[in-house]
Amino acid sequence: MNDMTDTSNNPASTDQKLKEAYFTASQGQLIWQRFKKNKSALFGAWVLIILILSGIFAPFLTPYDATISGRDKDYLNGAPQIPSFCDDNGCSLRPFIYTSERTRSIETSFRWVTIVNTELEGRRYLEFFVEGSEYTYLSFDINLPGEALDFRIPGFTFNTHLFGVDKGMIHIFGTDSTGKDIYSRTLTAINTSMAVGTIGVFIAFIMALVIGGISGYYGGFLDSSLQMITDTVRTIPSIPLFMALAAFIPDVWSAETRFLFISMVLGLIGWPTLARRIRTHLLTERSQEYVLAAQLCGASSSHVIRRHLLPSFTSYIIVDLVISFPYMVLSETALSFIGLGLKDPVNSLGVMLQNVTSADVLLNYQWYFIPVIFFITLVLAFVFVGDGLRDAADPYSDSHK
Amino acid sequence: MLQFSKFVAIRASLAILTLILVSFIVFTLMELVPGDCAERYVAFKNSQGAVISIADIEAERIRLGLNKPYVQRWGVWIINAFQGEFGDSCILRLNISQLLGQKFWLSLGLCLTSLMVAYIIAIPVGIISATSNNRVLNNSLRLVSYLGLALPNFLLALMVMLFSTIMFGDSLTGLFSKEFRDAEWSYERVMDFLGHAWLPIFILGWSATAFAIQTVRALMSDEIGKLYVTAAAARGVSGSQLLMRYPARHALSPIINSLGFDLNRIFNELPIVALILTLTEAGSLLIEALARSNDQQLAGAIIFMLTGSIVAINFLTDIILALTDPRVRRSIVG
Repeated sequence: MNDMTDTSNNPASTDQKLKEAYFTASQGQLIWQRFKKNKSALFGAWVLIILILSGIFAPFLTPYDATISGRDKDYLNGAPQIPSFCDDNGCSLRPFIYTSERTRSIETSFRWVTIVNTELEGRRYLEFFVEGSEYTYLSFDINLPGEALDFRIPGFTFNTHLFGVDKGMIHIFGTDSTGKDIYSRTLTAINTSMAVGTIGVFIAFIMALVIGGISGYYGGFLDSSLQMITDTVRTIPSIPLFMALAAFIPDVWSAETRFLFISMVLGLIGWPTLARRIRTHLLTERSQEYVLAAQLCGASSSHVIRRHLLPSFTSYIIVDLVISFPYMVLSETALSFIGLGLKDPVNSLGVMLQNVTSADVLLNYQWYFIPVIFFITLVLAFVFVGDGLRDAADPYSDSHK
Repeated sequence: MLQFSKFVAIRASLAILTLILVSFIVFTLMELVPGDCAERYVAFKNSQGAVISIADIEAERIRLGLNKPYVQRWGVWIINAFQGEFGDSCILRLNISQLLGQKFWLSLGLCLTSLMVAYIIAIPVGIISATSNNRVLNNSLRLVSYLGLALPNFLLALMVMLFSTIMFGDSLTGLFSKEFRDAEWSYERVMDFLGHAWLPIFILGWSATAFAIQTVRALMSDEIGKLYVTAAAARGVSGSQLLMRYPARHALSPIINSLGFDLNRIFNELPIVALILTLTEAGSLLIEALARSNDQQLAGAIIFMLTGSIVAINFLTDIILALTDPRVRRSIVG
């Protein structure tokens, strides 16, 4: 915003240079200045960046594939294995865990029993940068109609993982009932949640921009009827509506198609609040003096929208998008949790929590709940950053600095 | 008085218009599901061993009125819906209003109670936190309100179950003890119900409470800084009288206004909390209808009734606002 009408008569007593720097700063710089001062928001931003990065680099940071192909068939419903340095057999410089074996014989009345081998030969030593299952980045398969148009970008394939053990497998968060590593699944699930949220927020944003924009720019009858529709959609409780829409998904759809559809549904239902904000903002900004000034100078309406109206609320829109992000993530979690959202090969917190309400899990396998901690952290980080951005987004609100 | 009745009339017609729009959305969703009632019914008969032809499906369609145009069927559905009649469920072949009846009111009662509890907690706590300068209190309240978003009700329900199972060996689920589940309403059953209902009420109201505290606090701290409060303080009004007579009255209108949205928030959580805590009421019926049996008639009826309650609450709060605040009356009537 180049416009300084509100602040030009501010009786600033600070020295001239500081004042100049303040008035010539771009809006982005001002927001960043204010955001930096907010300690909790800054902390949230760091946590968020770390979580997102660990989601993106999940294949490297986790020792095993998060799908069924990475399962450990010898360690079902296994407890977290914490590497230690010492035990009764003496200490070791390299941290180790024990080998667990499932056996069934006449001594165990033919039931599967897990035996932990605490002898020296049962030790599994922790290693770093081990070779393991392959994963690829930047690989695309494009299937356009016609043979000639199909092409494949192979991307980069790696097989190095941050840590592993010399023999067998290690599960620092334990395993689930099929032997999948919960730690690997948790980090991949962060990725899924971010992807669902991004697609959902993007669709909601486009719809909100179109509907709110039309409504706020034209006003009048069109505005009232669009507002009526927006309010109606807002009145319907969204989770039951999600459930009704998600029930359309045919069972034959692949997990990836489901994932796309669910993200789209989240966006299709999430737009009304955003649309309302955009409309309100356009309505108030439209009658501001700087718009009038531009119009009096002979600016066309497209120029007014591009140069004055849009820049005046991009920061608000970004804030709103950040704030609506956790809602998308949580809605997806809720949907998947009740079995209407994502399905198994795709990992998300909701999918991982699907079977935890049984008494068996509650009593015996509490490590199923470890991912919850990560997700509460993720959502809290988003909330802190969103709040900090909201406070910072109005750079002129406390110009008496 | 005339102005007021005009306001009520305008507001009521708006509410009905909203309901009609909602019914259109819900009915369209019901229609979009692949396979109609006739096919389902005939498929059921087929599974019972009867031999079915295309002609049978057509005959069943005509019997159910499915051959009529879309708009006409929607009209019939909405007229019946306003009378509380939703026809039969295709899957269960039972009358929906009978099936829902008591369960719906039970759920609505639970949700309204949680809403009430949420505000009974939020209003005093919000006012106290807005006026006090206690850092510890303010920061802990801030944390609670953040957790209200970050720990959604269903995760809270899971956590409560986890801890109660480990600590007491009982997961605290259900609405009734085994012996009262299908009993007639009696004093003992009511007591048993209340003994079980406090947990769902708390969990359902959890997010709403956190949000309401935030709202009340923000509104109060906005109003407290205003000149009229300073003026009143200068006139010698002080203490709780100052708070109650000036800023609290101003802050009340937006709070009443937000009741409808908080009820919406609670309804959102209802199905999932119901599933986790195995409550046998409309929420779990909705999950049953959608996730298990794909029963669109039942699901549509439940969504319509939930939305109807929100519209009703919004209507009531607007009337209350208009009664207490003449500015609201003028804003709509003009």
